[in-house]
Amino acid sequence: MASVLTDRTSRAVNTYTYTSRPRALPCQRRRYRDNFLQEEEPMRYGNIMYDRRVIRGNTYALQTGQLPGQPDPLELQRQQQAKRRALARKRAQEQLRPRTPEPLEGRKHVDVQTELYLEEIADRMVEVDVECQTDAFLDRPSTPLFIPAKTGKDVDTEILEGELFDFDLEVKPMLEVLVGKTIEQSLLEVMEEEELANLQAMQYAYEEIRNIELAEVQRLEEQERRHREEKERRKQQQWEMVNKHKETSQKIAARVFAQRYLADLLPSVFSSLRDSGYFYDPIERDIEMGFLPWLMDEVEKTMEYSMVGRTVLDMLIREVVEKRLSMYENKENKHQSLRPKDEHGGPGAMRDPPVGYGFQKQSLSHTQKPLLDRDDQRMSYDGGPSQERKYMEEGELLGQSEETAIRKSLGKEEL
Amino acid sequence: MDVTTAPHRIPAEMPQYGESNHIFELMQNMLEQLLIHQPEDPISFMIQHLDRNNDNVPKIVILGPPASGKTTIAMWLCKHLNSNLLSVENLVIREFPSLTAETRKHYQKTKTVPSTLLVRLIKERLAQEDCIKRGWILDGIPETREQALMIQTQGVIPRHVVMLSALDTVLIERNLGKRVDPQTGEIYHTTFDWPPESDIQNRLVVPAGISEMETARKLLEYHRNIVRIIPSYPKILKVISADQPCVDVFYQALTYVQTHHRSNAPFTPKVLLCGPTGSGKSLQAALLAQKYGLVNVCCGQLLKEAVADKTQFGELIWPFFEKEMAVPDSLVVKVLSQRLDQQDSIQKGWVLHGFPRDLDQAHMLSSMGYDPNRVFFLNVPFDSIVERLTLRRIDPVTGERYHLLYKPPPTMEIQARLLQHPKDSEEQVKLKVDLFYRNSADLEQFYRQAVTLNGDQDPYTVFEYVESGIINPLPKKIP
Repeated sequence: MASVLTDRTSRAVNTYTYTSRPRALPCQRRRYRDNFLQEEEPMRYGNIMYDRRVIRGNTYALQTGQLPGQPDPLELQRQQQAKRRALARKRAQEQLRPRTPEPLEGRKHVDVQTELYLEEIADRMVEVDVECQTDAFLDRPSTPLFIPAKTGKDVDTEILEGELFDFDLEVKPMLEVLVGKTIEQSLLEVMEEEELANLQAMQYAYEEIRNIELAEVQRLEEQERRHREEKERRKQQQWEMVNKHKETSQKIAARVFAQRYLADLLPSVFSSLRDSGYFYDPIERDIEMGFLPWLMDEVEKTMEYSMVGRTVLDMLIREVVEKRLSMYENKENKHQSLRPKDEHGGPGAMRDPPVGYGFQKQSLSHTQKPLLDRDDQRMSYDGGPSQERKYMEEGELLGQSEETAIRKSLGKEEL
Repeated sequence: MDVTTAPHRIPAEMPQYGESNHIFELMQNMLEQLLIHQPEDPISFMIQHLDRNNDNVPKIVILGPPASGKTTIAMWLCKHLNSNLLSVENLVIREFPSLTAETRKHYQKTKTVPSTLLVRLIKERLAQEDCIKRGWILDGIPETREQALMIQTQGVIPRHVVMLSALDTVLIERNLGKRVDPQTGEIYHTTFDWPPESDIQNRLVVPAGISEMETARKLLEYHRNIVRIIPSYPKILKVISADQPCVDVFYQALTYVQTHHRSNAPFTPKVLLCGPTGSGKSLQAALLAQKYGLVNVCCGQLLKEAVADKTQFGELIWPFFEKEMAVPDSLVVKVLSQRLDQQDSIQKGWVLHGFPRDLDQAHMLSSMGYDPNRVFFLNVPFDSIVERLTLRRIDPVTGERYHLLYKPPPTMEIQARLLQHPKDSEEQVKLKVDLFYRNSADLEQFYRQAVTLNGDQDPYTVFEYVESGIINPLPKKIP
């Protein structure tokens, strides 16, 4: 809102003037409590681009509606109505608002100030006028020389007699001290250097000695180590030797012991194998397995034969006795029918040898079963009838002949 | 003199090692196998044999008449020893498909097979892995001498042969009650061995061939054959009477098959005799020393000798003797070890008595390395001890020792002047016996392989027991 008056044309070139309408400064700070004078005009500034008062668009067409600055009549009406309503409401509220009750009869309400400091309330405003005037006819005086105001403080001193010092006098002790110190320092430094050099020399000498000694020590150590290693090696050797010796003696002892312990091994092995039957006398075994069974079989066979022979003999004897008995019986019935009996006897007698033969065959076959195969071959059926004939002879002659026949048969078998 | 021929000092561990690991028997077995098989590469064969380590597997033959319970005993032994059972039946059944038709028919008819075939089957079966590893039990094989000889020739050598025997009448009667379980093949008896479970009872079948005639025939056959089989197994045969309850027979058989036979291994006896005072230890020790040349080490005697000889140990022991205190164990052990280390006791063996009296002493003895290989405990009842000891007398004039019961003095005169040792009084004896029995339980536990003998008999009888205990190999305890 500052309006810069262009008064430049009327005044001198370098003058600057500024005027503005008197206004209260827009200070944001609130001066007083609850400042009621807040409804000032807010600062209205805005972007012109978005200002509604600026007409945009085509300006040649008819504008419908109101200009943005002016209110719409409808709107106006509404606003007026709203205002009226608000007013009415306000009035109503004011009426409803609790007020102080009306004063009683004969009384009057009086306003009283209750604040701490009383205030004179008067209608009259305090006004102060101030004027100033410039003389119209005076010339403008020349500007005075600008002498800036003196700032700062002036201070001065006064030197009285005898207050200044004599430099040479004063300086002397200081100088002495300085020089002396310097010289002393340098002397010290030189001494130090000398001392250092001495030390250096001593150290060097010492180091030489030390090196020599170290070398000596090392040599001695080497010697010691060599001795020790030698000793160790010798000890080791000795120990190994002793060990070996011990081992050898143990081995020898073990061998001798084993020899002694197992001295009886072979004989005992052989005797145990013999006892368990693995080693047998081959001749004995052969006799046992080969000869004796054969012998036993032969003996068995022979005994069988004799048994058989005896059985057959028994049978024959029985036959003969039966025949004799029947003949004897027949003798009684001789007068009756000799012929038929004879015939009977004839075929009966004829039948006997075959019967006997058949029986013998059976018994022979009996005896043949347990015999070995080779005996079968030898015992051919050719031998049968000859034996039968012999047995037949036996049947005729009892006793001795039987035995001779048996012996004969035995002899035949032994062939 | 060459190192190998000089007299050697053989450390005592070697014979002990040999004995405890049965080296002699091992070598004997190995050599036997070598001789039987005669392999081309003996070394690898020997290595294989040692790897197999089957010297101790059971190799048993069980023979017996029919109805003696062979199969039952064989099956029980099999189960107990975890071994394999071989009988004619199961051998044939295993090989049934590979037999010829003829053999099959023959078997089905007569339940026998020809001997050569049987021996071949046995040989094949025994060559199989499980028989090698766990041993075998032959039930009823060999049936004839022929089979026995054939088996022996093949190199099949049993270690124990058990023969069951009983009277024929008993067997015939018993056979009538035989019943077989068709599923498991186990044999039960109506009177003696009836199965408890009823389902087995219902399953049982009467087997064929148990009539009296059949049994009699089989018995005849058996007797004919067994007489000739017995001489084939002279030293390993044991006859057990089958006329006892099954369990008794089984236990007898089991004990027998678990004993080792005497072997020819060289053996130095190291005998320990334990028993209360008066049980006859010194007497037995003296008899053993006399007969077998062992060194008789009596602990008390040794200490007295040391004192009398005034040796270094004697000087140390003497004060204890003076005060009648017991000599400390460490000293006793030192004296003993000195004696037992001498060459003659190592070579000939020793018999020790009177030393370990309690467990600590026993531990000390074994830690010094003197482990006895035979330990005997002589048990004598207290009354006998008292009788033996309290009647001891000595004749002061002649020095003869008499015993009022066992060796009375000849004349009354001598008897009058006899004196008794104060240590032989009853109270002293009782004290000593109590002392022994307090420690005997520990000792018995420590020496597990000890043999307990009845010491209450005639000394020579006891001596015979001791001898048999020494000579026979130690019995294996049934686990």
